[in-house]
Amino acid sequence: MSTYSYFPGCSLEKMALSYHQSAMQTTNAVGVEMKEIEDWNCCGATTYFHVDELLAYTLVARNLAMAEKAGHDLVAPCSACYKNTYFTSKYLKEDKDLSDHINYALEQDNLKYSGSIEVKHLMEVFVNDVGLEEIKERTTKPLAGLRVAPYYGCQIVRPKKDHEDVENPRFFEELVSSIGADPVDFAYRLRCCGGSLIITSREAALTLVRNLLQNAVDSDADVIATACPLCQTNLEVYQMQVNQEFDTNFSIPIMYFTQLMGIAMGLPKKKLGIGSEFISTDKILTYAKEPA
Amino acid sequence: MDTKKKLLMIDDDPDFVEPIMAILENAGYEVDAKYNPDEGFQALKTGSYDLLLLDVLMGRGAEGIMIARKIGDDEKLRETPILIITGMREQIAFLFPGQPVHPSFVPTDELIEKPVEPDLLLEKVSTLLKMAEERKAKSELN
Amino acid sequence: MATRPTFSEEVANLMHSSHGNPLNTCIQCGTCSGTCPVAEFMDHTPRCLIGLINANQKEDVLDSNTYWFCASCFHCTVRCPSEIDISGLMYSLKRYSIWKHHYSDDAIGPVFSETFVKSILRSGRSYEPVLAPSYIFSYGVREFLNEAHTATNLMLKGRIPVIPPKLKRIENFKKMADRIIPMGGAK
Repeated sequence: MSTYSYFPGCSLEKMALSYHQSAMQTTNAVGVEMKEIEDWNCCGATTYFHVDELLAYTLVARNLAMAEKAGHDLVAPCSACYKNTYFTSKYLKEDKDLSDHINYALEQDNLKYSGSIEVKHLMEVFVNDVGLEEIKERTTKPLAGLRVAPYYGCQIVRPKKDHEDVENPRFFEELVSSIGADPVDFAYRLRCCGGSLIITSREAALTLVRNLLQNAVDSDADVIATACPLCQTNLEVYQMQVNQEFDTNFSIPIMYFTQLMGIAMGLPKKKLGIGSEFISTDKILTYAKEPA
Repeated sequence: MDTKKKLLMIDDDPDFVEPIMAILENAGYEVDAKYNPDEGFQALKTGSYDLLLLDVLMGRGAEGIMIARKIGDDEKLRETPILIITGMREQIAFLFPGQPVHPSFVPTDELIEKPVEPDLLLEKVSTLLKMAEERKAKSELN
Repeated sequence: MATRPTFSEEVANLMHSSHGNPLNTCIQCGTCSGTCPVAEFMDHTPRCLIGLINANQKEDVLDSNTYWFCASCFHCTVRCPSEIDISGLMYSLKRYSIWKHHYSDDAIGPVFSETFVKSILRSGRSYEPVLAPSYIFSYGVREFLNEAHTATNLMLKGRIPVIPPKLKRIENFKKMADRIIPMGGAK
């Protein structure tokens, strides 16, 4: 059984509790252990970088150091946490000057980060480490005929890390296929949901959300699958506000990819946090059927 | 003995550096200025300066603190007195509910806050230089 | 002695350790502006902003709302043919504007950033109800009611925490932050 240090991030404590619950259930179902980092702190979101990048790196490094101490690679389900943690780890590995300074601060919590672990997004664990074959194997109730818009969003793919294809990634579509559903051709799948602009520049963010929802509806999607709590919140919680602002009539469910995996694996919906959403997912659940 | 003292100033704000340099040059000091922490630290390592005037918030963040720490870790550079001149309490006021900034990173540290009184600046500079000289004389004696 | 840096050099100094090419390698192709999802809301598009920086138009740059509209989607950064970290530039300008208090009173971005940073330094984790007051009062009546309605629904669905979270080792955490920015001791 492979084990990871799990960094849920602030959103998964409450706002996106269902992501946390479904992540736990599905990783467990495929034989992966997620050990929550004890006493983890906020990753700094984007706002820390607006004030002091060194402080932002320090916050992230504390989580990294605790994961390293536990001896496991760090896994983040939130794309923003993932991006911050991935790049902080990379910069600390590359820049001794920086890592000396950050480790000087970490001393105050009796920690040190030497850069010996990798940072992964939860989806990477499923796609690369567990493998799509295994997921297919565990799928007892394939979601045949369910049209899923795989919404990557931003920070799971950007900035570029290595030589990966940032213009046309396919891993989300492949994951959707592995649970028996149909990934739709979703042109806006890599477009921004507005992130924290929903707070700072509401009109702009609602416009982005409207465009995304419209594009998903135009692609005949039954559901939008997300891999980030910010995307989920903007697309789902603000869907009603979009309808009011733009006189639209959207009512498309937004689910975490782990929730879709969970129902395809026959896990009880309550354990996947289904029921805390604003837009009913009842119709989606009816697709999960044992093959005839 | 009466050669001009050489000072290095690391500060990202040209609007601040200009008048401070003028004050110090008027008082008979030779002053170099560097506007980013990397170039500043490089200059400090390669040049020979009698005193460093150091800003805090530059580049990525509190880089002045990082430079001060690096100097403290370096046996040779440690001899150079540092005068921190910062406006950080005003710049990021939301983190400083009322209290003044008074860190002590390296034993020779002195700190003044922007805006700077010219007389106070000159007094601090000359005191730090004197102290450094006395320290040096003492260590040569031993 | 030293020559006074131009505004474009000031920005370069802010980005001294950024991970892309310098701004003067910009070829003004406009890929960033064509890619940016919020370009239509900006006073100056990203391409224009870089042009203004390279032409040392300091006031015009700082007065613009462009960088506060950047949502950190990094789409421009991955597409820039000159490999300039444009999102990184926007972060730098946000820092500059916060440090210099160079933003308009009704800008929500800087206030939100400041409130967020302060709240994390206090407890170690983010807590939505603390953040709300920083922006909610700048809304019009309709937006305010919409937000209040949304918040109520979130509460009913159990998606807003009632008790603020706090780290166990919060004192160590504060001392740790203090080594990066000396805020006068953990309080």
